[in-house]
Amino acid sequence: MRLQVVFCGLLLAVFANSHAEEIPASFDWLEVVAFAGHQTDYSGVYVYQYDNRVETSSIVHVTQVNGEYEKLESLDGPKREIISHDGKVWDYINHKMVLVGNNVHSGFPSLLPEQLSSLKANYKARMLGVERVAGYNAQVILFQPHDNLRYSHKIWVHTDSGLLLKAAVLGDNNKVAEQYAFTQLQIGGKIDRSWVKECDSAAQEKNMPDDHKDIKPINSGWVADMLPSGFKKTLEIERQMHGRHAPVTQMVFSDGLSSISIFIEPNDRDEDDEDGLSSRGAVNLYHKVLDKNLITVVGEVPPRTVMQVLDSVRYNGK
Amino acid sequence: MKQKISVLMDGELFEDEADSLLGHIKRGSDVHNDWEIYHLIGDVLRQPEHIHCGLSDKVLERMQDEPTVLAPRVRPLKQRMRTIALSAAASLSAVGVVAWMSLQISPEVAPQLAMQQTAFRPASMQIKADSNDYLMAHQEFSPSADMNGGTSYIRTVSYSKDAAQ
Repeated sequence: MRLQVVFCGLLLAVFANSHAEEIPASFDWLEVVAFAGHQTDYSGVYVYQYDNRVETSSIVHVTQVNGEYEKLESLDGPKREIISHDGKVWDYINHKMVLVGNNVHSGFPSLLPEQLSSLKANYKARMLGVERVAGYNAQVILFQPHDNLRYSHKIWVHTDSGLLLKAAVLGDNNKVAEQYAFTQLQIGGKIDRSWVKECDSAAQEKNMPDDHKDIKPINSGWVADMLPSGFKKTLEIERQMHGRHAPVTQMVFSDGLSSISIFIEPNDRDEDDEDGLSSRGAVNLYHKVLDKNLITVVGEVPPRTVMQVLDSVRYNGK
Repeated sequence: MKQKISVLMDGELFEDEADSLLGHIKRGSDVHNDWEIYHLIGDVLRQPEHIHCGLSDKVLERMQDEPTVLAPRVRPLKQRMRTIALSAAASLSAVGVVAWMSLQISPEVAPQLAMQQTAFRPASMQIKADSNDYLMAHQEFSPSADMNGGTSYIRTVSYSKDAAQ
């Protein structure tokens, strides 16, 4: 009888193994992806899908001696063109380049060793075989969190270049919260670079405001005690935000795949309906008034996580 | 009783009451019918294009069409071996049936489950356009965005489009 049980168990085990073609994946893939994304010249069209919406955009990315240039153009809805270079983000409006954003950590290492170890501690990576995306072969890798405080991430990586061809964020029940995928992609070869010159001349023309005038690193004294494990603070700044009189404190935390921002500002609004949770795709936002401050938590994490984080925010003194 | 079923489906019945009611449903065919009708009503309300079509009956029907596994007769000397082989075959076919059933059931059930999940999710509200500043500010400094390599402004295009509207 015992032999029988063992035999059946063995059969079941063999069956289960042959059924699941899943091999543990190395986190090195993420470094490959980050590197390829910066170093490769490519142009293509991608779709971005979240909630019930689908948006199509074109993208051109080239690397020159003086850095990366990237142009994004929306192909449906109102026309928008965004050019980014050297950490600056430009809006192309009526043939004029308008500076809309600065990214202080341009040239930031793609993935810090510290983040990599936090990734390994909080996610399980699995290889899910090879699929075709935009005509290219892509290795599919799934990152599943160990807790329910973050989402699963599924990525499709071009087997030759390491470019990310498709990415999906999976919520509860493995339902896709948002995803984007290339539908057409040209890697290397002849890519139109005429717009790069425009970008350079516009950058020189404009009497450039001091890059980080509106943004300064601070130690605000605010803390959040209930961040999910592995989330490390990557930034704490005081910044100007559109339509606000007082500067806003922003803290950014990341576990390597997802990040959470906490905004703290004096509550000078009259509306009472500031409390509450809202979402877009994988991004959840939670507002709450604490004493006389309006606290906002934003992140690519489940609703329960932004709520948990906000409820643990307190002023610890400087 | 119908009242109780309704409460159970809303997930508001206490655990012990729910247990006894579920036991009751399993035993009595009338109660069981009520149970099915309530679910049908729920499904139609939530998802009129996927109207319930007697899934359990169909699964039963298909299972009866499944070929029976016939093992060749072996000599009585190998009685022991035969028992092992038969039970192995039985467990294999059981696994097969379970796997097949999950294949049959999942495409039908999954969207309904997903629907229910979204219905219960508190964050059904869309982020308002006046909160776009937060999203952009978050995106701007989000180190994870860098994972996507150059394509870190994918969300930004979407956000700024809203701002232009």
